[in-house]
Amino acid sequence: MSSVEPPLIASPGFMGSLRKYLRIFRVSLVERLAYRADFLLGTVLRFLPLVTSVLLWSAVYRGSGNDTIEGYTCRQVIAYLLLVHVSRMFSSMPGLASGIARDIREGTVKRYLVQPLDLQAHLLAYRAAHKFAYIVTSALPYGLLFWLMGGYFDWPREPWIWAAWLASLILGFFLGFLMEFVLGLLGFWFLEISSFLYLVNTVSFFLSGHLMPLDLFGGRMAMVLKELPFQYLAYFPATVILGRETPGAVMNGLLVEIAWCLVFLVVGRVALRLGLRRFSAFGG
Amino acid sequence: MTGGGKDIGGRRGLGSYFRLLGAFGRFSLNRELAFRGNFLMKVLLEVVWLGILLLFFHTIFRNTSRIEGWNEYQYLFFLGCYYALEGLIETLFLENCVEFGELVRTGNLDFFLLKPIDEQFLVSFRHIDWSTAPKVVIGGALMGVGLWELGEPVTAGRIAGFVVALLSGMALAYSFLLILASTAIWMVRNQSLMELWWLFSSLMRYPRDIYEEPWAVMIQKVFTFLLPALLVVSVPAEAMVRVLDSAILAWTVFAGLMMLGVSRWVFRRAIRSYRSASS
Amino acid sequence: MSQGSQKGGAGPAIEVSHLCRTYKVAQKKAGLLASLRGLWKGETRTVEAVRDVSFRIDPGEMVAFLGPNGAGKTTTLKMLAGLVYPTSGTARVLGYLPWEREDSFRRQFSLVMGQKNQLWWDLPAADSFELHREIYSLERARFDSTLGELVELFGVDKLTRQPVRELSLGERMKMELIASLLHEPKVLLLDEPTIGLDVVAQGTIQRCLREYNLRKRATIILTSHYMRDVEALCSRVLMIVHGALQYDGQLSGLLDRFGRSKLVRLHFEETVPHGLERFGECKVNGPVAELKLEKSQIAQVLSSVVDLPGLVDLSVQDPPLEDVVAMAFGSGAGKP
Repeated sequence: MSSVEPPLIASPGFMGSLRKYLRIFRVSLVERLAYRADFLLGTVLRFLPLVTSVLLWSAVYRGSGNDTIEGYTCRQVIAYLLLVHVSRMFSSMPGLASGIARDIREGTVKRYLVQPLDLQAHLLAYRAAHKFAYIVTSALPYGLLFWLMGGYFDWPREPWIWAAWLASLILGFFLGFLMEFVLGLLGFWFLEISSFLYLVNTVSFFLSGHLMPLDLFGGRMAMVLKELPFQYLAYFPATVILGRETPGAVMNGLLVEIAWCLVFLVVGRVALRLGLRRFSAFGG
Repeated sequence: MTGGGKDIGGRRGLGSYFRLLGAFGRFSLNRELAFRGNFLMKVLLEVVWLGILLLFFHTIFRNTSRIEGWNEYQYLFFLGCYYALEGLIETLFLENCVEFGELVRTGNLDFFLLKPIDEQFLVSFRHIDWSTAPKVVIGGALMGVGLWELGEPVTAGRIAGFVVALLSGMALAYSFLLILASTAIWMVRNQSLMELWWLFSSLMRYPRDIYEEPWAVMIQKVFTFLLPALLVVSVPAEAMVRVLDSAILAWTVFAGLMMLGVSRWVFRRAIRSYRSASS
Repeated sequence: MSQGSQKGGAGPAIEVSHLCRTYKVAQKKAGLLASLRGLWKGETRTVEAVRDVSFRIDPGEMVAFLGPNGAGKTTTLKMLAGLVYPTSGTARVLGYLPWEREDSFRRQFSLVMGQKNQLWWDLPAADSFELHREIYSLERARFDSTLGELVELFGVDKLTRQPVRELSLGERMKMELIASLLHEPKVLLLDEPTIGLDVVAQGTIQRCLREYNLRKRATIILTSHYMRDVEALCSRVLMIVHGALQYDGQLSGLLDRFGRSKLVRLHFEETVPHGLERFGECKVNGPVAELKLEKSQIAQVLSSVVDLPGLVDLSVQDPPLEDVVAMAFGSGAGKP
């Protein structure tokens, strides 16, 4: 990851920085494509949990004898499980926090002190490239999958729902990035955070609704889970495109999501500043 | 003339391998205890994961009484079996296999090849990850609760079937993991072995009966006969709390031995490639 | 089994004939398009790491491999250790074909790489030694006495109970060496054993290696960037440049062959007078001037500098070994 060190010249002004980060985007994209085989295997395996959970839920509905559970039909649950993958495709940031922590531990973070390069903006450009490459190359297998499982979907006709979905996905990317970024900065204060990160990942798998629709937990549990920022990483975009929410609720959800983004942005900026100050005080 | 004194013929006994395993276990424990905070965090992680599994279990059985013929407590036994087996794999092999990629990348695998000992043994068992060992006990407890609630007598035949199937299941899981890890030689970036394994092991997470749907029959066939991952947890659990089917038991044992052979072959190919590629 | 007759016998410890090693490296071109093309087929380039190398080393000899970075020294060592297959040619170490990696062969040699670490990082070295004992199936009594000797020899008595990560680089290297000597190898292959170490630690390691060589009549091959190591340990050197053996003989012979120049040091009372450049390459440092001269010129130049005003002292020296070797590398590079 840290091997990408394009020669960057300090060019002031907005366009200048934009060009700088576009360049990082391009270099990162090239690097990503070089790892083909691993990528292929990863893509194939990625669908396995989906298949198994679809089968499990089919079995659950068959066993229960009911058509709906907490207002979800079996088809809707399965559609949800597929759609959650799309959400996670945007919001998951594998290796981001641990990469930051490693840079801090090994001292490579120093270069953000000496180079005219902002750690957060650099990583955002890098991630955006990876996400872009990932989404483009996954489009085919996912398209195939959605086509194969077309029977499970009732795609909404209203354009606003599609627009809201897209917005929620892109916001999900930013929220996912900003949250992971803050986690990674913990590395300034704690030497070894890999296990902690793993813990957060596991909890987030559950809290975000990746495992199953949050509503299925029922009652108070579902209510609490829907107040947390994690739901925007998986649950929220999926319910939007499932057409389960009213326009008002969707609008409200998007606004709250933006608010969460701002919260994590501010926390991240403050933590980065404090962290770098601490880092230079200790001499790196 | 020779230095070591007892290397006549160069063969080492099985006892020596067990002693070595003991030493690995001891030293790994020393190492873990040197980083107690991290150790506790890892244990906490496992407890949280258990909580999620149980919550999932609870949510499902709030809405249904059966999943493809598995009632609540049979399924709890299955869950315990899954959790314990996952614990065994993680304690013994997962960390080692993840490190294998790192050894290849840094070239430190060289040192393993210099030692007068089977390199697969050395690579597979070097670190014992004690932080995941409690899962085996907890999984055992879940199985115990399941059996207790079912209230059916546990026969010696079932216990024997369970143990044999569990060992075969472990052999299968280990083989798959080792094959995945070996691919690190041919692929550029394989740091995500942990994730790949997590994805692959989803095949073991639910009973194999859920693959009865028409469109999933092919998947069931493939992962029963070609890459028998569906057998790993299902067969031991079935042997204990459902049907003790000798045909599937025999196939599981056979498949376990076969896959051990295949994985060893793949591992050796990987080492060969590593040696041909390095300079 | 294709073993020769003299396994462990009285023949040479190491015999190498016409050893070659080529390998392919992936060629990654820059640019997005090339990268996309690389998705289907990678392009490779063949590198000749070792070319037709032959030599023999007798038991108990200490030999240095010299050569610039990437010359094939490490590859040759790795072939002797059985880690790498040769592309053609053959080698026998203690009568074994190394790449067959028989257990009985692996019990009799050690490879130490200065840039790599094989001890358990978070544990005391003593624990790693203990594992080593199990892996090599060493008898307890013999292991204890060997370990005791080595710990004393290297002077690391109190450090074996300390986690390896807390040791200094030099101490860590000493532990690595102890670990590699525990099974009393007859052949010791050392790749840059003193890299990054201070002079004191280098000295200790040199002394210990010499001692081990004497005590056990072990055959030692080492590569090093530090001529000090080579001067201290090895009378015989093998020079490898661009994968080919350029020189095999005494270290002094290397000096005769490539060290054609001498260094004349002139010490003046106050300042160095101008005009010394006319004799040859001249370096001035305060009142001292260093002239680099061809051997044939010496007599003539000396006769004309003795009369220079203010000259206090004068000496003629061999140039530093480093310079000679660098020059030898350069001349070797000329003929492919």
